Amino acid sequence: MEYYAQLLLNGIIAGSIYALFAVGLTMVYGVFRFINFAHGELIAWGAYIAFFFTRSPFSLPIYLAALPALAIAAVIGLAQDRFVYRKLRHGNRITLLIASIGLSYFLRNGIRLIWGSDLQTYGLAPVRGFFFAGLSITPTQIAMTAAAIFFLGILYFILTRTLLGKCLRAVADNMTLAQVMGISIEKVSVTVWLLAAVFSAVGGILLAVDTNLEPLMGLTNLVKAFAAVLLGGAGNVWGALLGGLFIGIAENIGVAFISPGYKDFISFALIVLMLLFRPRGIFGIIGGFR
Amino acid sequence: MDYLLHIFIVFLIYAIFAISLNLELGYTGLYNFGHVAFFGIGAYTSALLSLAGYPVTLGMVGGMLLAGVLGTLLAIPALRLSGDYFGIATLSFGEIVRLFFLNERWLTKGPMGLPGIPRPAWIGEGVAGLPRFLIFCLLLTVMVFLVTRRITRSPFGRALKVVREDEYVAQALGKNTLSFKVRAVAVGSILAGLAGSLWAHYISYISPADFTLTETILVLLCVVLGGRGTNRGPILGAFVIIFFQEVIRFLPIPPDFGRFVAPLQGMVYGAALIILMLKRPEGLLPEYKQ
Repeated sequence: MEYYAQLLLNGIIAGSIYALFAVGLTMVYGVFRFINFAHGELIAWGAYIAFFFTRSPFSLPIYLAALPALAIAAVIGLAQDRFVYRKLRHGNRITLLIASIGLSYFLRNGIRLIWGSDLQTYGLAPVRGFFFAGLSITPTQIAMTAAAIFFLGILYFILTRTLLGKCLRAVADNMTLAQVMGISIEKVSVTVWLLAAVFSAVGGILLAVDTNLEPLMGLTNLVKAFAAVLLGGAGNVWGALLGGLFIGIAENIGVAFISPGYKDFISFALIVLMLLFRPRGIFGIIGGFR
Repeated sequence: MDYLLHIFIVFLIYAIFAISLNLELGYTGLYNFGHVAFFGIGAYTSALLSLAGYPVTLGMVGGMLLAGVLGTLLAIPALRLSGDYFGIATLSFGEIVRLFFLNERWLTKGPMGLPGIPRPAWIGEGVAGLPRFLIFCLLLTVMVFLVTRRITRSPFGRALKVVREDEYVAQALGKNTLSFKVRAVAVGSILAGLAGSLWAHYISYISPADFTLTETILVLLCVVLGGRGTNRGPILGAFVIIFFQEVIRFLPIPPDFGRFVAPLQGMVYGAALIILMLKRPEGLLPEYKQ
């Protein structure tokens, strides 16, 4: 029993990270109605830039290295929009998607070019876990969950309590109508890309703190974020959040029953099941953003 | 001379692969981002059957059939929704198939791969068999070209284009659009299976590392560069891309920089996709003359 409780706990921790990936992806979908295949690379670039700042000549501790990493990831996110997506927004959808998969491949190979294809770690010293009611949890994991909750809290605040959040929801609902009402699409689109980039980079860094860095981490987690977005109903931020948590839990409990080599299979199976039976998502009814 | 034969054989195999993707991407407007999965399924099925002692021809037919069946099974759930979802489902399907090759050691020998895949008996092994293998590939390519040209010029092919341009119009004309799309994917997967099995019998060694997103990007680039929705486009695209790839091998690259070649090449492919989409989305041979 404790074994499963431990798996559940690990699942919640992993799921809070996946939720960070998924909210950005679903926000971009909600506003621009396209799936950004390069979203995964924002995750990987965030983690790798933080890695860069933890090394000499900077040698910053990870929580300080995260700050320039988030800033640069935000620049990459804005540059994606500025130089590629904005120009294709009103064209054929297929050109947009092909450009986004080309961009993702370009960015991934950029990582391989700069940092090589090998596994890397931040080189943090392993910390002894606490035992609480028979469950083990490390301080790193607590910090990860706290950071995830903190950032998701900020998102909640922005979306529900600020004028900007209101504009964002209006644009997601109906872009033309929002434009007619005098909402600046440019401001909203910059906000969406900023949020998406910062959230994926935060998630990427947290994930890399817990596991490691590799050039393919973007692609692997993109599939998980997709599954979370589908679970929540595309464009629904709170749905994506719950979807991310669900996938983290399903994956960790799943390894009790199937070979760990197929851990990534679970998100794929969920994608296919959702497409087959509940294409609108299971959390769609909860509402929220969009 | 032998090297030139090799380049031509690889070009012809990629031409078949590109034609198969073009049927889905170019004619029907389906973003298949995991097309390499069917290439891999064809390669592994054919290799395993012929290694088990069955004739090579039977192996190739088996590979095509299995690729076609799995393509249909994937397409039915994935195509019930809009194109973006098909992109996700196929992208993750490609990853899952690779995981399967990697993990099912009893069948595929995992990362070690399958060595010693035989060629058809009348062709002969090694360099001596190259001219006859080239003729074999040429015959198959011409056949595939004629068959797809016949398909795309038939009423069925015209209906596919209507589905691509406007699904509602196709529905209003009494076409079952899902059925059309599924059939396009089925034929595309069968042809990709053919290309994959040719690849396996030609290279004579396959491993999961041969069937990654890189191959999908490469074939996507062949189709997009040549011209989507044209019969000759993918062949021209495959010709340009394969020759570009082989020419790179002759560049005088200092050994210290060897590590950078593959990522740089990947970045070039990614950037080429983006620039093509921005500047000339119709490719070298446009579908409609201006």
